[in-house]
Amino acid sequence: MRAIGWIITAAFGLLPLAGGLDAQQQGRDLAIRGGRIHTLAGPAIENGTVLIRNGRIAEVGTNVTVPAGIPVIDATGLEVYPGLFDAMTRLGLTEIGQVDVTNDFNELGEFNPHLSAATAIHPASEHIPVARANGITHAVSAPQARPAGIGGQATVINLDGWTIEEMMVEPSVGIVLNWPSLRTGGFGFFGQQQGARTFREARERYERNVRRLEEWLEEARRYDAAVQAGQAVPRDLKLEALAKVTRRELPFLVGADEERDIRNAVEFMEKHNVRMILVGGREAWKVRELLAEKQIPVIAGPTQTLPTGQDEGYDEMYAAPGLLYQAGVKFAFGTFNSSDSRTLPYEAGSAVSFGLPREQALRAITVNGAEILGLGDRLGTIEPGKIANLIVTDGDPLEIRTQVKHVIIAGRDVGTDNRHLELYLKYRARPKPQPKR
Amino acid sequence: MRYSKMNLRLRRLGGGLVALLAAMGSQAAAQDPHTPGAPRHFAIRDARIVIAPGRVVERGTIVLRDGLVAAVGPNVAIPQGAWVIDGSGLTVYPGLVDALSTLGIPQALRLPQDGRPQFGPGGPGGGQQGPYSWGPEDRPATFTWLNAADTLDPADERIRRWREAGFTSAVVVAERGFFPGQAAWVNLAGERRNDMVVQTPVALRVNLQGGPGHRGYPNSLMGAIAYVKQLFFDARHYDQAWSIYQSSPAGLQRPEYDRTLEPLRDALRNRRPVLLPGNLAKEVHRALAIADETGATPVIYGLQEAYRVAPVVARRNVPVLVNVDWPAPERDADPEADVPLSTLRFRDRAPTAPAELEKAGARFAFYSGRIDQPQTMLDNVRKAVALGLSKDAALRALTLAPAEIFGVADRLGTLEPGKIANLVVTEGDLFERNSRVRYVFVDGEKFEPAPQVAEGEGSQRGQGRGARGAAADTAQQAQAVAPPVPITVDRGPITSSRVTLIRNATIMTVANGTIQNGSILIRDGKIAAVGQNVTAPADATVIDATGKYVIPGIIDAHSHIATDAVNEGSVNVSAMVGIRDVLDPDDISIYRAAAGGVTTANILHGSANPIGGKNAVIKMRWGADAQGLLFDGAPPGIKFALGENPKRDRDPDRYPATRMGVMDVIRQAFIEAREYQRRWREYEEQNRQRRRGQPPLIPPRRDLKLEALVEVLEGKRLVHAHSYRADEILQLIRLAEEFGFKIATFQHVLEGYKVADEIAAHGAGASTFSDWWAYKVEAYDAIPYNAALMTERGVVVSINSDSGEEMRHLNQEAAKAIKWGGLSETEALKLVTLNPAKQLGIDDRVGSIEVGKDADLVIYSGHPLSVYAVVEKTLIDGQVYFDRQVDLERRKALEEEKKALLEKERSSGERPRVTTDIAGNPREELR
Repeated sequence: MRAIGWIITAAFGLLPLAGGLDAQQQGRDLAIRGGRIHTLAGPAIENGTVLIRNGRIAEVGTNVTVPAGIPVIDATGLEVYPGLFDAMTRLGLTEIGQVDVTNDFNELGEFNPHLSAATAIHPASEHIPVARANGITHAVSAPQARPAGIGGQATVINLDGWTIEEMMVEPSVGIVLNWPSLRTGGFGFFGQQQGARTFREARERYERNVRRLEEWLEEARRYDAAVQAGQAVPRDLKLEALAKVTRRELPFLVGADEERDIRNAVEFMEKHNVRMILVGGREAWKVRELLAEKQIPVIAGPTQTLPTGQDEGYDEMYAAPGLLYQAGVKFAFGTFNSSDSRTLPYEAGSAVSFGLPREQALRAITVNGAEILGLGDRLGTIEPGKIANLIVTDGDPLEIRTQVKHVIIAGRDVGTDNRHLELYLKYRARPKPQPKR
Repeated sequence: MRYSKMNLRLRRLGGGLVALLAAMGSQAAAQDPHTPGAPRHFAIRDARIVIAPGRVVERGTIVLRDGLVAAVGPNVAIPQGAWVIDGSGLTVYPGLVDALSTLGIPQALRLPQDGRPQFGPGGPGGGQQGPYSWGPEDRPATFTWLNAADTLDPADERIRRWREAGFTSAVVVAERGFFPGQAAWVNLAGERRNDMVVQTPVALRVNLQGGPGHRGYPNSLMGAIAYVKQLFFDARHYDQAWSIYQSSPAGLQRPEYDRTLEPLRDALRNRRPVLLPGNLAKEVHRALAIADETGATPVIYGLQEAYRVAPVVARRNVPVLVNVDWPAPERDADPEADVPLSTLRFRDRAPTAPAELEKAGARFAFYSGRIDQPQTMLDNVRKAVALGLSKDAALRALTLAPAEIFGVADRLGTLEPGKIANLVVTEGDLFERNSRVRYVFVDGEKFEPAPQVAEGEGSQRGQGRGARGAAADTAQQAQAVAPPVPITVDRGPITSSRVTLIRNATIMTVANGTIQNGSILIRDGKIAAVGQNVTAPADATVIDATGKYVIPGIIDAHSHIATDAVNEGSVNVSAMVGIRDVLDPDDISIYRAAAGGVTTANILHGSANPIGGKNAVIKMRWGADAQGLLFDGAPPGIKFALGENPKRDRDPDRYPATRMGVMDVIRQAFIEAREYQRRWREYEEQNRQRRRGQPPLIPPRRDLKLEALVEVLEGKRLVHAHSYRADEILQLIRLAEEFGFKIATFQHVLEGYKVADEIAAHGAGASTFSDWWAYKVEAYDAIPYNAALMTERGVVVSINSDSGEEMRHLNQEAAKAIKWGGLSETEALKLVTLNPAKQLGIDDRVGSIEVGKDADLVIYSGHPLSVYAVVEKTLIDGQVYFDRQVDLERRKALEEEKKALLEKERSSGERPRVTTDIAGNPREELR
């Protein structure tokens, strides 16, 4: 494995450009020494050490003995944080947005609960090293659902690995569902009808969609019961996948933005006894009491977004996370993007001056996402036993000017090399053009 | 022709005969008065006669003879032979006029009933697509030569309906196309079209939408405005050319005949009204601007947002036609849908338009818009009366005002002797809902409406119009005319002080370092002093900025906010269009940008074509009109676009489809522009040498497209070139050098770092994104180090937003150039202040905190390059346009206003219907 790595590197003439340790030669044992460790599981540890064995955090503290032979990162004067978690992305599922053939997140068909992002994640996507260069160590990568449809299963990956198997944290953390909207559509630029013309029409369509969803769930239950009972039923991948939802093993990742849609979704999921994580939820702040009461977590969209309506405060989306927090709603941030995943910390940071405590902003891009998605025992804090996803920075990771010095994923210092840095160094070295004679 | 004369003779003869019979006491002939042979000699006695608005004879007689008013007054003798009508208890008014209508206009020349513009095949009219228009020379959707008088269908069933409600005249015109044709003043009775016409043409109509079947240029509002202007310029040129030619044709080339320009030429020469659309305040301003530029004599139609613009039209003495089809909520709308406050205000205020216009002293008439029931029109006028319009003014707007506006007041509009006998006779006051029309006279012919029919029709259509006097109806009516809800102040400068002192701040001047505990003195909108020891007069407004940071107002060199159109992509060179024509001062993005510290932005045309339209540099003066947004003195600019966007597939195929073609289009355009420049220079030279007595020369035709390109050649117009790849950037530099002009900025310029030396050598600026990439192939090599790398190589770099969202945190985007590429704080701040100012040629005015510059300043809660910094105040020209504290305080009032408006709509009892909304989107159905 190591040898192969070298060969590839040599063949492309790409030498590691940045980062602490030679990524190709490392094992998964590592120590980070001398930094201030923000474990997010207790107070920060000054001048502490994190010992990583076999990709997991082994010990954290001020009195950690680092066994001989284990590579050490000197973090003196630096800050150590849990790796950042982008809780909703298309990483690995798209390369160039406007080039359809590079997109693998939007399958045909309205009900595809059996499809999984993991099947199509491209480990060599250039977006991955770009994201992790700014401290994103793991992410949810999810397919897109069609309107009122089911898109497939979301996968949690580490942003490092030769194959999806090496990147894999959890193949399925939920099934993406777009909640049927009640919105009456307008007319597009070319006069094409974008939705129902009248509210009556919209309501009829909505009710049809909800009934259809109910039927799917009912079918999944029956299928599951039959299988459990040992009946010889032909295998149905879709129902098999949905049965994980009806058995409450997996949540629905429910895409809904408008207040009414969110309320309807909450009511529906409760009625059908399935778990729900609200995804996007631009107007979630208007339903925050309900979400808190029903303990429905939110994967919130970017804060650097325009308000939901002309009359909303200019700072609506900056202020929304603070309101969710105050109401007791648990939420994590996602960029809902791939190429922009690296801006995750600024989405969180932008909410801080509008009511979200800084500590909570940080948690919303580290611990919360892990806990919401059932990975709290494996990710999110710097505690023994957890996957060693950490970053070493020269300051507050939410601040734009902070430099990420080391990115450690599953115990390896993967460095901050990426396409952008390569292009930068290459063209920075371009000699001044000589005027033609 | 002959038939018509014969008929007239027959009618007169018959009329005399019947009058004679009538005088003998026979009633027989009254059964069908408007058959040939109906009497044309009447006397209405003992009636209340409103001779003209404000001139009332409480009890008098009016005599009509041969279609004219013969006499009117309290003591008029009833002539022998007249048919006498007892007018006791009745009121006689001048006949009502619908000042803009399609009565009698055949369906094919009207817009579809729903008024929705049709695109593509399938819809009504969509099946017959017109030819694709490749420019103004194709005269797209232009029917100036079409005279409504020649298209009238006297059998149009609607004519009878309107007449029976008291309407005796209408100004009618076709509706389709940018220039649907010429309007005629017609009387609403007659067997053949020639009987109906009173005067034609009386006006020329302009639309800013092409309507069904139109394809190609123009396909945007700004294209439509540019086209309308060009056609008027062409008409002037046509007039000039033909006048010169006809005065001495020898030795001159004959100008080309153009039937589209003949009526325009005629309209310009005779100062005939040109009907320009303007419903919202901003549209009225646009119409005025079109009139100013073209020299057309404007009559503006629409005016439903008159409460914001009435004083302007009054001051300008521009007559207006008010569309009394008051906007209303949509039927079967989503009950929970968010209706924006702006829409609610618009709907609430529209019926106050007439009262506002009266108060301002404007000249106005009424028209029906898409109302198809005359009773609805009258009810809507009654609503305006209930909201403060005087009855005299209401009557005037339905009678004399349209006659004056359309130049027929010498024969219509009042009941003075000698005028055409168009009358309406009512039981009760016309402006009371329970009044009833008893007689209508058109051209002296008597008509008696059959009320039962109208009633049946009304209830059948669900209007309930027939059920007059019903208690519920009256109650609803009473509520419906509740006064408008007061408007919360939510725009305009928050302060109005001549002298302001910002005290004790950390001032990042950008030009001269950072001053701790510094003060800025502002006088008359300019920075008067900066430093640690600044003294202010005692009456100065003091802003204490202890612990805060002040930076120059942020400048966004690439934005598309505050405009109602972005692309005119129908053609590959759209240099004739301009954002200035379509600025939208009501776009909330202006305020939001100010809330993000932006004070100036370069509003650009889109990237749909190699050469796009002209720009507008604006300041975020939220609350000002379009003119007031403009950055006075900013050099004009134009958009170019290279790479993927301009070469995208289009239907029909539009050259270019490759980067080769993109460059070719630009090169060809400048060859053409040089030729145009040469022709004008030659003309001017020859004109200078022309001796006294020699015939004048025919000048070249003014061409808005080439004019803009000549300005580029002459260095008077800045080129802002959308570009991505390094190769295309280099190609454009070489092309510009070939023609001797300079590229002011490369926009986006995501691969600028690869050719930074070449950009610097050319002297172009570069305006880029902070960190966007990979959304398309040409953005795959985009790197966040771009700004820093180009800066290192000596390029003047800015970071722009191209987005109403990104625009609100350009300070953060600037900070990214510190992270990616290591710029200093000052260099980073320059990216969004001084550098874009330089790129736009306005750095003598803005971009840094220096004495003498505009006091455009942002006060941040903390270091502006921090993610935690919040804009607390934004000042433009020394006045506060955004204040976070004020913003938070206003929210409550705005919420309450909205609640009150919603409550009022809900309780008004008005039947919701679908109609135009504030955005001018056409309503869905008629009712």
